[in-house]
Amino acid sequence: MSGGMQPAADPILSVRGLFKHFGGIKAANGVELAVGRHEIAGLIGPNGCGKSTLFSLVSGAVMPDKGEICFDGRAVGGMSAHRIARLGLARTFQIPALFDNMTVTENLLAAAAEGHWRGASERAAETLSLLKLEHVADNRASDLSGGQQKLLEFGRAVVRQASLILLDEVTAGVHPNIRKIILEAIARLREQGVSFLVIEHDMEMVRNVCDRIIVMDSGRVVTSGAFEDIVRNSEVMQTYLGHPQ
Amino acid sequence: MDLFLQTLLNGLLIGGVIATFTVAFQLAFGVLHVIDFAVGGWVVLGGYLGYYITAWLGLDGFLAIPLAFVLFGALGYLIGPVLYNVRNSRTARPELMALALSFGLFTLLRGGMLTAWGFNTRNVTTALSGESLAIGPVTVPLIRVVAAVFAAAIAGGLFLFLYRTRYGLAIRATAENRHNAALMGVNIGRLSANVYGLYAGITAMAGVLMGAIYSVNPEVGLRYTLFAFFVAVLAGLGSVEGALVAALLLGVVEAFVSTYVGASYSLLAIFTTLFLVLLISPRGILRRGL
Amino acid sequence: MALLPANPQWRSLVLLAIIIVVLGVLPWTVNNYWLRIATGALMWAGLACSWNMLGGYAGYINFGQSAFFGLGAYVTAFLMSDPFGLAFPVTIPAGMVVTALCAVIIGAPTLRLRGAYFAIATWAFAEVLIQFSSAMDFTGGIGGIGLPPYLNERFFYFAMFGAAALTYLLTWALFERSRFGLKVKALRDHEPAAEAMGINTALVKLQTFVLSAVTASVFGAIFAYWVTFINPKSVFGGDITDQMVVMVLLGGLGTLWGPAIGGVALFGVNRLIWMYWGDTAFYIAILGTAIVLVVLFLPNGIAGLFERRKQNALDKVLDKLVGSGEGGHP
Repeated sequence: MSGGMQPAADPILSVRGLFKHFGGIKAANGVELAVGRHEIAGLIGPNGCGKSTLFSLVSGAVMPDKGEICFDGRAVGGMSAHRIARLGLARTFQIPALFDNMTVTENLLAAAAEGHWRGASERAAETLSLLKLEHVADNRASDLSGGQQKLLEFGRAVVRQASLILLDEVTAGVHPNIRKIILEAIARLREQGVSFLVIEHDMEMVRNVCDRIIVMDSGRVVTSGAFEDIVRNSEVMQTYLGHPQ
Repeated sequence: MDLFLQTLLNGLLIGGVIATFTVAFQLAFGVLHVIDFAVGGWVVLGGYLGYYITAWLGLDGFLAIPLAFVLFGALGYLIGPVLYNVRNSRTARPELMALALSFGLFTLLRGGMLTAWGFNTRNVTTALSGESLAIGPVTVPLIRVVAAVFAAAIAGGLFLFLYRTRYGLAIRATAENRHNAALMGVNIGRLSANVYGLYAGITAMAGVLMGAIYSVNPEVGLRYTLFAFFVAVLAGLGSVEGALVAALLLGVVEAFVSTYVGASYSLLAIFTTLFLVLLISPRGILRRGL
Repeated sequence: MALLPANPQWRSLVLLAIIIVVLGVLPWTVNNYWLRIATGALMWAGLACSWNMLGGYAGYINFGQSAFFGLGAYVTAFLMSDPFGLAFPVTIPAGMVVTALCAVIIGAPTLRLRGAYFAIATWAFAEVLIQFSSAMDFTGGIGGIGLPPYLNERFFYFAMFGAAALTYLLTWALFERSRFGLKVKALRDHEPAAEAMGINTALVKLQTFVLSAVTASVFGAIFAYWVTFINPKSVFGGDITDQMVVMVLLGGLGTLWGPAIGGVALFGVNRLIWMYWGDTAFYIAILGTAIVLVVLFLPNGIAGLFERRKQNALDKVLDKLVGSGEGGHP
């Protein structure tokens, strides 16, 4: 059913047979997926199906029980989070995890502190203008509005000059204007060759942005393919998304 | 062999008294998520209450036990929410501020007691003072046996409360996972007042017993804070069952070092063990820590 | 402020210059009694700053900083007395090396855990050193060690002044002006996010801890030579750490000048109480009260009262003078 939409032979991220159990909860129960270069892949599925855990496993925040994670041609399973980040993987957190007592600019600079430091202040300034955050550049991160915090969370991933960015519900509950800013930024970064894996609940956004959809349930990937193929399969829509269209 | 048995028994008896307040300490950590430096201060205050009830009122030291629970329980009930509010405040670095607050409280208690009562050592006098009990070849001071029995009763009551009542279940649920407990409708703010009150009351009761077994002065508070930390690290912070085992172990270790090596080395031995456990197995040898 | 220039940058620079000049000529204008007090104030300002490196910037509370102060003091005392009789300047680096090794041994395992374990571990380490140095012969036991007396108050004043100035310069350059400071503050605010930004948080914390410990050891070394006699309680005692904690909280956690303000203020209170009551117990009660009140009512410290969201004007001027280089903020 996945049609001709499998990623290219040389994916930026590939996950094979990934397991992670917390007590009796099987958060990852044999996950298999791949994200191609320059691809924007959408990750969907009901709450608690293991999407966020998958992000934590891939980014090294949580150690897998077993399985392979290959990022940019390297096995990164079991590697510490900062080493994976230095290889070019960036992520956002579902609940904004900002450096609360630092200013917006300092947040961006701290994100660039490890890695491409040369030109970091120029990049931080560019990101501020890309995300239209210039007017709050010297505000403390904890003083920002909810939407601005999401923007800054996204901005830190941008500043890192990553080749793959994992976005965890980055547009959930934000004002349409801010969503537009984020979507434009994603489009621009993709032109520059960045790949994305995006957790999203908003089907409209998934349709507009993602090249391919990966559907998860109960800790495993059940199917993947183009948005239209997935939607046309009403069984998948009913079972996993709950609202056939 | 007799000396060995005697030392072992002494250690277990003292360990039993230590267990009462360290179990309460673990409970307070589980709910408040603050390691309370003031624990030794409560022990010493209990001891002084035992001393003054004899010195001023001419009553038996044992009568101070229920009084200690009521008095310091009430004080703890007032302090608990303050600690809780600081720990959960929106200011920068709440964990660090709460730690500093408990540290400040401990310093305040120590300095206040030193100012009021000086560096002199006091004894809690009871009807049992000077009596001893012979069990086979072993002779132990009667007060230690009674204190241990008392402590066991308090600990037993606490465990019954924790495992047999709804409120006890709420406390354990909160200690296991604050987030989930809040979702299930537990009012953690109010719970923290009760738990800190319970903990301060129990600790002060143990202080009366400790004052009757040894003696009390404001500087020994440090020693009891160390005991609580030692037990917490061995058991893993927040683990209540582990604390029981670790406290008995601590009593035995202290007794053996005092008897066979020298009393002046017992603190060094405890600190060094604590320290090595932290280095080798930082989440506690019982691996139940948070 | 009519005497000072209106431009805030110049005003800050002029203020700093005035402070340096006043501190520079002080030894020739006051008697030895006041000079000793000034020397003590400088030492405490420096020690508070050393504690603030880890406590304020990285958010890890160290309840055993006196251990490192004492290690510096003991190494200097040990090496300067018989049979070694080494010269004072040689003993300082020796103390720094010993301290750094100890800091790595304590910090490497415990800094990976929650802050509470680290607080217990450092506290226990300081107490172990008290017990250990009291029990051992080579440390002089409870009696302590005497050092060859050197009765030159100006020398000790300038030694403390130099050490304090270096400490503040280092703190400013590393924590306020460089990307190292960004990493430290990032991990303080959100450790998993800092890791996700490629920051090796375990390493950065350990580096900060070692730096903080080594700084304290230098003050310990000067202190030992200054007072010519040390014992376990006088250099490892918990009261030394207590004071550093209060000074930093009072002045302002994680600020450059907070520890200096808090250090001088609290040391002043200490001397006043000593002069009028001659009582240390009362001082301990005041320390405790101060911690409680500051936590409850002044969580940002005195420096927080002058809170500036924007970059400190003083920093900007110094930036231009020193040249911000790669490490500078935009």
